[in-house]
Amino acid sequence: MDQLRTSIPISNDKLRQYAESRLHRALAARLHRRQLVKSSLATAAAGAMMHFTGFTPSAVAAARRALAQNGDSAEAAVAAANALDPKPAELFVVWESALQAQDPLLFSGPLWEELTGIRITVLELPFTDMYSGQVAEHIAGTGGHDVLSVVPAWQADFVAQGIVEPLDPFIEQYMNPADLDDYHPLYRDLMNFGGQIYALFDDGDTIILYYRKDLIEDPANQEAFQAQYGRDLAPPATWLEYDEVQAFFTEQGAPELYGGASQRVAGGLHGWFMEEYRNKGGIFFDAETMDATVNGEAGQATLDRMVASNLTMPPGVETWGFIEVLTGWMSGQLAMIGGTWPPIGRWSEGTTVEQLAWVPETQVAGNVGYSVMPEGHSAHNGGFMLGVAAQSQNKEAAYLFAQWANSPSISLQRCMLPYALRDPFRLSHYASEEYRAAWATAGDYLDTLEAAADGALLDLIMPGAVEYHNAVDQAVTSAMAGTGVQEALDGLAESWNEITDRIGRDQQREAYAEYTLLAGAYP
Amino acid sequence: MSIAADRAVPVAHGVAARSRRRPRASVGLAARYVVVAIALLFFLFPIYWVVVTAFKLPAEFMARPPVWFPENPSWIQFETAMRLRGVTALKNSIIIASSATFLSVAIGSLAAYALARFRTGGRHFGFWLLSQRMLPPVVLVIPIFLMYRGLGWLDTHHGMIALYTVFNLPYVVWMLRSYIGGIPVEIEESALVDGSTRLGVLWRITLPLVLPGLIATATFAFIFSWTEFLFAVVLTRTSAVTMPVTISGYFGSQGSAYGQAASLAVVATAPLFILGLLVQKHFVRGLTLGAVRG
Amino acid sequence: MTAPVSRRALPSRRGWQTAGSVSGRTRWTGWLLVLPTLVAILFLGIYPLLFSLTISFRRWDLQVPEQSFVGLANYGQALMDDRLWAALGNTLLIMVVGVGLEFVLGLGLALVLIDELRGKRFIIPLLMLPVLMVPVVVALTWRLLWDQQYGPINAILSAITGQNVAISWLAQKNSAMVAIIVTEVWQWTPFMFLVLLAGLSGVSAELYDAASLDGASWWHSLRDITLPAIAPVIAVAVLFRAFDAFKIFDVIFLFTQGGPGTSTESISWYIYQLGLRFFRMGYAAAVSYLVVIFLTIVVAIYATLWLREERA
Repeated sequence: MDQLRTSIPISNDKLRQYAESRLHRALAARLHRRQLVKSSLATAAAGAMMHFTGFTPSAVAAARRALAQNGDSAEAAVAAANALDPKPAELFVVWESALQAQDPLLFSGPLWEELTGIRITVLELPFTDMYSGQVAEHIAGTGGHDVLSVVPAWQADFVAQGIVEPLDPFIEQYMNPADLDDYHPLYRDLMNFGGQIYALFDDGDTIILYYRKDLIEDPANQEAFQAQYGRDLAPPATWLEYDEVQAFFTEQGAPELYGGASQRVAGGLHGWFMEEYRNKGGIFFDAETMDATVNGEAGQATLDRMVASNLTMPPGVETWGFIEVLTGWMSGQLAMIGGTWPPIGRWSEGTTVEQLAWVPETQVAGNVGYSVMPEGHSAHNGGFMLGVAAQSQNKEAAYLFAQWANSPSISLQRCMLPYALRDPFRLSHYASEEYRAAWATAGDYLDTLEAAADGALLDLIMPGAVEYHNAVDQAVTSAMAGTGVQEALDGLAESWNEITDRIGRDQQREAYAEYTLLAGAYP
Repeated sequence: MSIAADRAVPVAHGVAARSRRRPRASVGLAARYVVVAIALLFFLFPIYWVVVTAFKLPAEFMARPPVWFPENPSWIQFETAMRLRGVTALKNSIIIASSATFLSVAIGSLAAYALARFRTGGRHFGFWLLSQRMLPPVVLVIPIFLMYRGLGWLDTHHGMIALYTVFNLPYVVWMLRSYIGGIPVEIEESALVDGSTRLGVLWRITLPLVLPGLIATATFAFIFSWTEFLFAVVLTRTSAVTMPVTISGYFGSQGSAYGQAASLAVVATAPLFILGLLVQKHFVRGLTLGAVRG
Repeated sequence: MTAPVSRRALPSRRGWQTAGSVSGRTRWTGWLLVLPTLVAILFLGIYPLLFSLTISFRRWDLQVPEQSFVGLANYGQALMDDRLWAALGNTLLIMVVGVGLEFVLGLGLALVLIDELRGKRFIIPLLMLPVLMVPVVVALTWRLLWDQQYGPINAILSAITGQNVAISWLAQKNSAMVAIIVTEVWQWTPFMFLVLLAGLSGVSAELYDAASLDGASWWHSLRDITLPAIAPVIAVAVLFRAFDAFKIFDVIFLFTQGGPGTSTESISWYIYQLGLRFFRMGYAAAVSYLVVIFLTIVVAIYATLWLREERA
């Protein structure tokens, strides 16, 4: 395999240099934590699961030939898929509904079908139903899913339930191993669970802060802000500064212009709380007793601030999700976005595609600045990986589709689609000349995304993650609906303890210890 | 309760009803019209709103202030929604609802006849049948999900048809029993004397006599099957997914596809309006399991 | 015109006498005819219920590998579950307030429309439409209406008050409850109205003639004549609506998913969430059974009362 790695011709020397330097850093940074500590649960499940062995020799041979030629995993996947015998007519691919699904519906699905003749049927699920929908399908045992959408936080449960197929044997047969080193190291670590890869990381969902450069740099605003707050008006580095800047613009401009908005609707809200909480020094559990420790000072400070910050956001922000924030921002009604996913950066620079026709035409092109979230660490909130369903009847084809879509060349195109939601996650994405030239400040955008990923804080990745996250959403929404902050947090701690007790303190202690070894568990 | 008191209810006579003087109150005709107008506005405006949303382009349904009358009504939401998911869902809904309706009426009319004519099972049986409808369906959804997993019936037409047939049965039996009970037994007896079999009597004499009631009952059974959501959302995914589930799929965290959702809503609702108006006369009786007759 | 409350609404002895004597042969035929129905209901009505009972004694939980027998532990836990009681409270609140409002509004409308009114023939079918809508569509419709940014309700309130009203209806506990109840009331008031209208149309006019001779006021004749006369119809209508409202799921699923926090969780939503979001099948089954027991008691009391009346 090493021969293969050195034989990859990289036409662009700069890119190679860049990738090599990043690779070095990545290797140094990696803790190999999953190899150090193995969750008994994951290991047991992985051990119990038979590794796939029924490879189609002709497909493997075709892939080898393609890889030897140019090292392109995408071409290898296509060649292998075409050599499959029998070749399935159709693959059922689970995807988040609405905008996310435009990628497989309009781009990758049709392209894959054109290349291989295998039709991609997209099974769209709203995000809040994706975990339960995929688990239910597995329990149902119908084999109705081939390619799964795995959020890293769900991985522990998906592995423990045997929902996802271990991918190491497939990778060994079909992928250019150099591609594995092309993932951002944080994301690459997320693929490795109990010493085994179960899914290919496919969506770099680290949130960043967006601000209007034209407003922040405006001399009149600078002067007025200086007079009021006694410091320079600048992109906020702390939440205190953020709230001041937000209040400043809201006082000046409401209702035409508000200082900022953050997504507040239940669903992904836990990411905002858990990011700030950890930036403020909070920890989730007592590592010894596994008692939830979220209702302490850091929790209060975080939730107090979040609730208070709503006051200078647009009225009704409590129901704002991704789309509402996007709409407000694009129409120029917001001076900042207090953190959101990367697509907004691309869309802000203008798009004319039909899928986004309902979004107000961008009023902010050329004026958008990017920054890592206040207090230095952005949340990696969500993030999809492509997995193969253990019950799939077409595992080989399912894997090949995932490898193809996830390969450096195809994934770059997907991350640049002006209408879908996949975001850069490979080192080669951040370094892509093409991407960096997409608009004037695209380089800043990619650098910020990369810096954010470098220091990103991860979702809770352990059994019951969906329940823990759900409880956070409930506590935060209830505090925003008027429940006292302390009461909401005490309720949260109680819910977390109940979940932990149910699953088993000992097992969770181990799982949590393993989680804390991840680079992005805490700042 | 209803029965206990039913003897106390005076029977209205057509003639008397027409000449009655009611507590007309101090409110005059104008006031009554005002109340009716407000009621119509309240009950019809939401329907108007979902219909116009279906014809709006996103710029109009995501507008502040709201666009009360779309300027350029467009079918594009219908086209997109139907092409992507609507046609499959509509087909599934039609197959499932009509099959379940047919089966429940076919099976249920036999039982209804027995209940009406032979008092089969006595009073307790009738009441037990009725009580089937009182449980919240959610208590059955988990065991049925697990059962269907074992049977391989998840996400299948026949699974949903069987389920809706069973859910409709108590209703169908109950309603048809009441309609059949309204046919004088002497008509059947004379046919029996002429040598017809019981089933022959049921098929050739009784059912034709209760045909309007039968149609009304079938219509309601169809409406129940068409509108059911909880079981459909749990038991179907792709091949048997129904209209309500498909519409609910648009309520994601990126809920911006309201136009498409609204267009499917119109498609799902229009047949029900038509059916409902066709069985208008049986409406009250149908919705109260025959306890009240309009 | 027929009697508003059917004598055959529930089986009565008198109704059966016309069927003649029941011989052994017809009894046999009767059971044969009932058999398919019985089998079907046993298969998908009774068996699942029994199956659910066995699940409720197990720790059947996605997060716990072994499905051990735990006896009544799930039940004990459920009885101590604050969220369950809160969900019951919310459900009863929606039921009582919702059905109460539906009754008052439905009765008012029925009283307005019972006498001749030009266009009545068209008005009544129009008022019938909400009942005919798919509940999911109702939820979609009202989500459009309640929408904080683009919804007509805030726009209308803004126009009326002259201020910028931007209530996040579904994000605040009380307003979310209001939104849920109003939506329910919108869909089901027409049901109440139609049933009560049918009831009113059966009230004999002579009763009023006597009353108006006595010079009774409108209010008095409503209270002393109309309402007692249609009491059985009211009972049927309220009972039907109450049982239906207790099942509330669709609107909560599509409006708030129980939020903000857990403040709008209903019984059905809570069980759904336990069983099919987090896959705590055993516990969800136990909670379901508590609901079954609760409703069985309610129904048994009702049945007993009815049978006693029937005997009297």
